[in-house]
Amino acid sequence: MIHFEGVTKTYPNQSRPALESVDLDVEKGEFVFLVGPSGSGKSTFLRLILREERPTAGRIYVAGRDLARLSTWKVPQLRRRIGCVFQDFRLLPGKSVYQNIAFALEVIGKPRRFIRKVVPEVIDLVGLEGKADRMPDELSGGEQQRVAMARAFVNRPMILLADEPTGNIDPATSIGIMKVLDRINRTGTTVVMATHDAAIVDSMRKRVIELEYGKVVRDQSRGVYGQAY
Amino acid sequence: MRAQFVFGEVWVGLRRNLTMTAALVVVVAISLSLLGTGLLFVKQVDHTRSLWQSRVQISIYLCDQTPLSTQCAKNGPVTAAEKAQISHVLTALNQVVHVTYLSQQQDYQQFRQEMAGFPALIANTPPADIPASFQVRLKNAQADAAPVAAAVAGMPGVDSVVDDSAILTKFYKLLGGARDAVIVTAIILIVAAILLVANTIRLSAFNRRRETAIMRLVGASNFYVQLPFLVEGMIAGLCGWLIATGLLIGARAGLDGLQQYFPFPITLSTLDLAQVVTITMLIALVLCGTTSFLTLRRYLRV
Repeated sequence: MIHFEGVTKTYPNQSRPALESVDLDVEKGEFVFLVGPSGSGKSTFLRLILREERPTAGRIYVAGRDLARLSTWKVPQLRRRIGCVFQDFRLLPGKSVYQNIAFALEVIGKPRRFIRKVVPEVIDLVGLEGKADRMPDELSGGEQQRVAMARAFVNRPMILLADEPTGNIDPATSIGIMKVLDRINRTGTTVVMATHDAAIVDSMRKRVIELEYGKVVRDQSRGVYGQAY
Repeated sequence: MRAQFVFGEVWVGLRRNLTMTAALVVVVAISLSLLGTGLLFVKQVDHTRSLWQSRVQISIYLCDQTPLSTQCAKNGPVTAAEKAQISHVLTALNQVVHVTYLSQQQDYQQFRQEMAGFPALIANTPPADIPASFQVRLKNAQADAAPVAAAVAGMPGVDSVVDDSAILTKFYKLLGGARDAVIVTAIILIVAAILLVANTIRLSAFNRRRETAIMRLVGASNFYVQLPFLVEGMIAGLCGWLIATGLLIGARAGLDGLQQYFPFPITLSTLDLAQVVTITMLIALVLCGTTSFLTLRRYLRV
């Protein structure tokens, strides 16, 4: 599903690469934790998959496509197959839960009939039954993150990227968030989650890829966060 | 393609950006109405020119009892022989198409007709003050006037030679100058309008950066991300154009009003006005559309 081949990314005006010679494969339907200290290259890894950045060297394949050969006007097609969740939720404050989720479908031109059918379904999936008309500022952090996950998942992406989705949420609520991610993963969606949260990584027992200074230092199936932290 | 969604976004954009949009509408309205007025001027001048071109002639006034030139004062009123001689010279010239002799009586009638708007002038002008004349129509009003005038000027019995086209040239110069001034002002304002469009769109893009960030993230096409902004710019342009259209209808009435000061009525037709209004609409759309598009390419990249 995601294939990195000798990928190096150096940002302009930086001597040290953010990612250096990364080779890895993520299979369809896998759940992968991406761990490592701040500045280890986790976010760069996610941005490269989204093609928000291009690698300085190496090749990246996402869903069978060579991103280097993907023309700019086809990038939106790629992004429709990838869902994204962030630490800061990124909901639109002026729109209700339902409107926030529907927005993701409206802007890719889905018909209204379709939107009316699938949005309530994902609202149920993320556990926000009965809160469709709430505004973001009426929701707790955990609930807001559920809305963001619903928005990321509503178009049934093949890959879900989560950049520290529990970073702003207390541990008890985080468990609920992880349950939703797990539920999404069980539908066959590949999930890549960058995180600092050792407790979550240890409890889930999924594949763990550890980055340090832009290099993969550990890649374990059913791993833990690591002793060093 | 979901029109409702696009227009919803446009409405939000216009509302959030109200002051800039208002400024844009006003500047577009003023620049378009000035440009349109310039175009109406051009049309007016064209109409006047073609009408006068067929009428322009040289008037050769003959000496009568109240001489104006020293030559008439010396020789007295024109004699029949002198008249015949002048007529002969005129008809012999090959620049001349047609020569008409107007007696004092006929000339006075024509004078009354042309000055119908000024009864006081007619009342104070006794028929004897209007001299008899030869009205000469030329092949080419501009080029032939001078040689023909020279051929008869100074002949016995000739009081004065009046070249209509000389007066018209001055009139055209005046109209042309006014037109140029209006168009130059319009162009300066259009440049201001372009800058304002660019700024308005940039602010609008900044106001809606959250929305556009999410749109890009979930894979909205460039077209979808940019269309609301493009439509926003064009709607502002069209609002400006609507106001400009109102002003242009007023300007046309003003130009028509000027006509009462000229002996020959030439009013601009509704077709002329419609043409100018259509041209200004196209300019508004192209100007706002292109500027929005180019601005978006800089500020909303995928």
